[in-house]
Formats: sequence, C-alpha cells, structure tokens
Amino acid sequence: MDFNFSPEDDAFRHEARAWISASLPEGWGRTVHEPEDETERYMSRLGWEKKLFHGGWAGIAWPKEYGGRGATLVEQAILAEELARAGAPEGLNIIGHNLTAPTLMHNGTEAQRRRFLPKILSSEEVWCQGFSEPNAGSDLAAVRTTAVRDGDHFVVNGQKTWTSFAQYAQWCFMLVRTDTEAPKHKGISFLLVDMSTPGITVRPLRQISGESEFNETFFHDVRVPCENLVGGLNEGWKIAMTTLAHERGPEDALGRQIRFKRELGRLLDVAKTQKRGKRAAIDDPALRQKIASSVIEVELMRLNCLRSFSKMLQGKPLGPESSFQKLYWSHMAQRMYETALETLGPAAALGAGDPATPARGMFQTGFLQSRAFTIYSGTSEIQRNIIAERVLGMPK
Amino acid sequence: MNFDFSAEQYMFQDSVRAYLADAWSVARLRRLMEGDGFDATLWHGLTDLGLLSILVPEEHGGMGLSFVDLALVFEECGRALVPGPAVETMIATDVLARFGTQEQKAALLPGIATGRIKVVPAVVEADGGSDPAEVETIASDAAGGWVLNGRKILVPYAGLADKLLVSARFGATAALGLALVDPTRAGLTLRPQALFDPSSRACEVIFDNVAIGSEDVVGAAPIAASVDRVVDAGAMAAAAQMTGIAARMLDLAVDYAAQRVQFGRPIGSFQAIKHRCADMMVQVETSRTAAYYAAWALSCDAPEAVQAVSMAKAYCGDAARFVCNEALQIHGGVGFAWDLDLHFYLRRAKTLEYSFGDASAHRERVLSAALAAREAA
Ligand SMILES: Cc1cc2nc3c(=O)[nH]c(=O)nc-3n(C[C@H](O)[C@H](O)[C@H](O)COP(=O)(O)OP(=O)(O)OC[C@H]3O[C@@H](n4cnc5c(N)ncnc54)[C@H](O)[C@@H]3O)c2cc1C
Repeated sequence: MDFNFSPEDDAFRHEARAWISASLPEGWGRTVHEPEDETERYMSRLGWEKKLFHGGWAGIAWPKEYGGRGATLVEQAILAEELARAGAPEGLNIIGHNLTAPTLMHNGTEAQRRRFLPKILSSEEVWCQGFSEPNAGSDLAAVRTTAVRDGDHFVVNGQKTWTSFAQYAQWCFMLVRTDTEAPKHKGISFLLVDMSTPGITVRPLRQISGESEFNETFFHDVRVPCENLVGGLNEGWKIAMTTLAHERGPEDALGRQIRFKRELGRLLDVAKTQKRGKRAAIDDPALRQKIASSVIEVELMRLNCLRSFSKMLQGKPLGPESSFQKLYWSHMAQRMYETALETLGPAAALGAGDPATPARGMFQTGFLQSRAFTIYSGTSEIQRNIIAERVLGMPK
Repeated sequence: MNFDFSAEQYMFQDSVRAYLADAWSVARLRRLMEGDGFDATLWHGLTDLGLLSILVPEEHGGMGLSFVDLALVFEECGRALVPGPAVETMIATDVLARFGTQEQKAALLPGIATGRIKVVPAVVEADGGSDPAEVETIASDAAGGWVLNGRKILVPYAGLADKLLVSARFGATAALGLALVDPTRAGLTLRPQALFDPSSRACEVIFDNVAIGSEDVVGAAPIAASVDRVVDAGAMAAAAQMTGIAARMLDLAVDYAAQRVQFGRPIGSFQAIKHRCADMMVQVETSRTAAYYAAWALSCDAPEAVQAVSMAKAYCGDAARFVCNEALQIHGGVGFAWDLDLHFYLRRAKTLEYSFGDASAHRERVLSAALAAREAA
C-alpha cells in the first residue's frame, strides 16, 4: 500500500495541472462560469471535451493504437484529481467515453473499433444509450423495440425513452429484440445506430430540474447495416451487462467525483458567507456536523474508486461488486445536496434566476438533479438486489 | 500509488484469521466475564504469531513493520473479538518506538515483542470529553523528576499492565506529555470499573502524589505530539476493529437470513432483508477504505494523516452502529437473547465507538482541516 506518487507520476501531475490552468478561461469558477442556457452549456462542454482531446488528455488510458496514451490507471486518477482541483467542466460525450468505448473494446470487432473509437476520443461523434423503454426500465430484458433482418440490414421499429443527450448525439447504442420467441434474455441484440438515419424522431422531455437532458426516441423502419451488430445475434444481454458494469463502476465514479468535490468546495465558501442571524451558517454546530459528513463522504468516494482501481491494476475483473460504488455515491451525493440547501436556509427557496440566490442557484439545481442519481444506471433497489443476490449470495 | 495490501500482508491476515478461528471463540470470550479477564493461552498464541513484535524495531528484537502491516490484523482482532490488552499494547509500542528514549526502548520493546511486557494508554479523564488536550492530570516539578496528581478512567487492563502511558500536563508551562508509570507505584490506586462490555477490563486510576523520575517521561521531556499520537493511533485501531466487527455482523446476518424460515421461505429472500444487507455491505466496504487509508497515512506520517484518521473514526463508527443494530434486528427475538453472541459484538463496537474521540468530535476535526485547506488554496 502506497499513496505516494512516483517521480513520473508527479511529472504527469505537473503537466496536467499546467495544461488545465492554461486551457480554462481566465477567472474560471470565480468570475467566469458555464453558460446559463442549456444548449449553450452542453455545447461549451463539448468544446471543452474537444480541447482536452487536442491537448492529448482524452481517453488517456486507452491503448495507443486507438489514440490513447496507454496511461496507467494511476495517471487516470491523477488527471481526474487535477480536473477536480481546477473545477473543470464535465463533458457531453460521457456515454461515448465511458460506455460505448469499453463495450467496443471488449466486444466489438476490430473494424468497429477502428471505425468508432477515434471519433469518440475526439468527441466528433457524441453517443447516447438506447436501453430503457416505456415498459422496460428496471426489467431491462423486457425491451420490445424490434430489429428484423432484411438482406444486409436490420430494420428497427419501436420506442426508447429517457434517452440522455439523444438530441446532441450522432450515434446511439441500443438493445433490440431480434427473437420474439426466445426467453426474454436470449432474444436481445446490441446495435449501433446512426442517429441521422431516416425514421428516427427525438422528442426532448423536460426534467424536474427544468432541463431537457433526456428524450423520447422513436424508431420507424430505421435501416441499420448488419455490420453494426456488436457481438453475435441474440447475444446482446451479455454485452449490456459489460456496459452496465462500466456505467456503475469506479471509472465513472471517479469522473463524477470531480463535480462533487467542486460543489463541496463552493458549499464551504457559501457556508462562510451565508448568515444565520448574526452568525455565519458555518458557525452553526448542527450544520457543521452535516457539512463535515459530506467532506468525509466525498473523499471516501474518491478512495473507494482508488481501491477498486488497485484491484483492476492487478487484473482482477470488475464484477457485480462494482454495484457498491454506485449505491454509495448516489446516496452520499443526495445527502450533500440536502445539506447544501440547509446551508442556504431561507434562500433555498430562491430560483436560480434571482440575483440574491447564493452560488447562482447551483445547489438548487444540484439538489433536483441529485434525485435522478438513485434512479438512472439502475435504481438503488436494483443495485441492492444485485449486491444481495450476487455478492452476498442471498436466496432469490 | 497502490491502494491494496501485498500478498504477504494478506497471507498474514489469513494466518491470524485461521489461528483465531481455531483457538478463539465467543464461548471462550464469555469465560473472561469472570476472573482477571486475561486469557494467557490466547496471549501466547498471538505472541507466537508475531502480532506484538510487528511494530517493534528490528534493533529491539521485532519486525520493524508499520501500521499498514497491522491494519488487516486489527480488523481480524475486531472480527474475532480479541480481548485486550493486545491492541492497546500495539498502540503503546508505536508511541514508544517513535518518541521513547533509547533507554526506554531498550527496557520495554524487547519484552513487548516476546509478550512479556504489556503497556496500555491511560488518556481518558472523567471530564475530558474527546479532546486529548483536555487533560487535568498534573505532573508538578520535583527534585529529579515529577509528582503526578490526577484521575484517569477506563484504563484498559490496568491491573495486569506493566506500564501505563499516562497523559499529563507538566510543570509551570503545562506542557503536554506522556509518563510511563508502573501501576504498583506508591500513591497509585486502581479501582476496577464495571463495564458496558463485560468481556473486557478497565480501571479507574487515581494518582495521589505519585513520584516519577525524568527517565519516566516518554522522550525524557514532555512531547505534546506523543499524546496526539496515542489518540490518533488509538482512533485508527478502533476504526479498523469496528470494521472487522461490522463485517462479522454482516456475515452473521446473511447466514441467519439464509437459514431462518418464516412464511414458508427463508427470510433472506424477503427484499426488506436483502436490501438492508446490501446497505450494510456498502458501509462495511467503505469502512475498509477509510480504515486502511488511515493506517497508511499514520504509518508514513502523511500530511493528511490527522484528517485520514478522523474520517475513519467518524465513518467506521457510524457504519458499525448501523450494521450492528441492523444485524440484531435481522435476528429477531433471538438477537435479543443473552445466550446468542451478537451482543458481545454490539457491546465491543459501542465501546470502540466512544473511545479515542466519538464521530462528532472527529467530524469537527475534519471540517476544521477542510476549511483551513480551502482558506489556503
Ligand atoms: C436523468 C435520467 C437519465 C436517464 N438516461 C437514460 C439513458 O440515457 N438511456 C437509457 O436507456 N435510460 C436512461 N434512463 C432511464 C433509467 O435507466 C430508468 O429510469 C431506470 O432503469 C428505472 O426504470 P423505470 O424508470 O422504468 O422505473 P421502474 O423500473 O418502473 O421502477 C419504479 C420503481 O420500482 C422499483 N422497482 C422496480 N423493480 C423492482 C424490483 N425488482 N425490486 C424492487 N424495486 C423495484 C424501482 O427501484 C423504482 O423505485 C435515465 C433516467 C433518468 C432519471
């Protein structure tokens, strides 16, 4: 066990820190913030992601042959820490980077990897995930969207829902039913679909936060070339499980930790300036305890990731125990945002647009967004089922 | 950067676990409710395994290893409810190896390594709360040394320890430091205390003009950092032991839930029970993360060591509280029966929860450090 970094790691950290501070706008996080308008915000995130790519900081842990630097997991963790320290923005092509890429590296053909990975890396192609349907949520294997073979194409018909970033995406990976007779897990295939194909309609859905990150996505006689099938016909379920392991695993969590650390830092600042009568909020002993819990829990999120990383470094595979990461961070982040609103006190009732709103409404929005953390990527109930049955071996 | 133990460290954990599974049990622990609370066979077994020599430097006959090598051992000690003063002596060993004079080390460490000498911390005072600096025991100047006056409570196994590590304020400057005091010294009275955990032992210790020499002060002159170290090492070891207890309670709950049948099916097939166990697992795993990190940070005096220790003590304390309570709940009525072993784990965990600073005190320490760091950034 050793948390000290090698001279090479320190050099890497230096390089990353210097690049990040030179690349973010002057005054970032203090006087300069992300755009208020949602579309502009996503576009600015996409811009940042492309900047990372041009600087050589995208997908650093990917193999060199696909455009990565073959960086170690440790370097990946260092980069995440440095991005967190600088309060850097998130990306837009998170699904491409974190889900499509590892899925293709594990299950794709060489031709698929060569076709798709470089453009994920450069964020020229943004990806969305077409798993959920109106009648297939937690019971994902109940998907009904069909794909029927017609010569060298599949013809896709059906509806996906809650499809995040579909309105910005060039590509979608989706689960489709290719055998309606087989048991539900055995008739599913995994397809890569060009979002500009005729027959696709994307309808943004408004979320409780007021934003429209997710969409309804309709497929009407959408023709998808057979070469876009990942893995074998009717083998989609197994592949979806790899995708989900990455969606719930430590690499995803480490990225999110960037945001939580940044907002926690802002919370400490706000707690010092926000008044409770004559004293600052931070001097309220009950509130101090709750803020301290968040400081601890956010740091333990990072350390949980590093502990999993160390297991991965030794070649131990990511199994169902990766579920504990997601269950941990989703609930701890919800507690953090509750505490943030409590810190604001009566000002919690202000909308983001009011000039008197502390931290530009970041915590109100964060609170609303945080309610989704325990729903997407598998609800907490589903994560608990998985842990109980597959990790603890409890009876079905 | 590597947040994992080495193959040797895991092997050592396995041998400790195997030894304890074979030689120790709650049934044997129950016997310690009578008598002096000491099991000589177990003590020798642990000594033979090398537990007490891990922290003793090689020049004094030990292995010269660190808390990282002990983190998994502490966890096993919690898991198996190993009685004191094993962990207590290990904490004292760390402090002596760091702050003791050459003579103190030569006099005590070789004997600790062979299991002959037991040293325990005496740092808790009735009115002291959780802050180690809140010490009212006084060491006044006297010719050739000091005179101790004061009162400590919850001094573990004071009756059979060879030396007590007593925190006190020394002389006119009220400098904090540690005194090494033989419990048989004139002027010192021991009163065995009734405990929440009847399988362990502790005394109230009253110092009434106890004369000590300057050679009895750890480091010859008082060192405030030595007092902090006892508390930090103690908090880390408590966090690791609570992790072990919580892990064991989770195992017991999962096993029981698989066997116990109600409504024609194992209660473990009910989602309410499964989901509770899953939440317990999340907290057990995160406790491990926190406790291991604290052990590492202390072992190499990392700049973030104090925060790491406080994070662990706060998180593991809350987690052990949750896991132990839920494990009891999952057992139903039998969980409340004296004859079932659960309450020994519960009592030990609760005792550890309030030792070396409770979760609230440690959260406060974490927050102060975080605010200072933010200020500096
Ligand atoms: C912000 C956001 C973004 C999303 N983005 C995407 C995306 O990009 N792509 C995509 O495919 N999907 C996406 N989703 C969908 C998400 O994966 C689903 O909402 C989720 O899997 C739950 O499915 P459901 O909404 O149908 O709820 P349901 O499955 O109907 O669940 C309703 C409630 O019942 C509980 N429940 C269900 N089954 C069980 C059970 N067996 N045991 C106990 N309790 C159970 C659930 O835990 C939940 O509390 C997104 C969701 C959100 C909120």
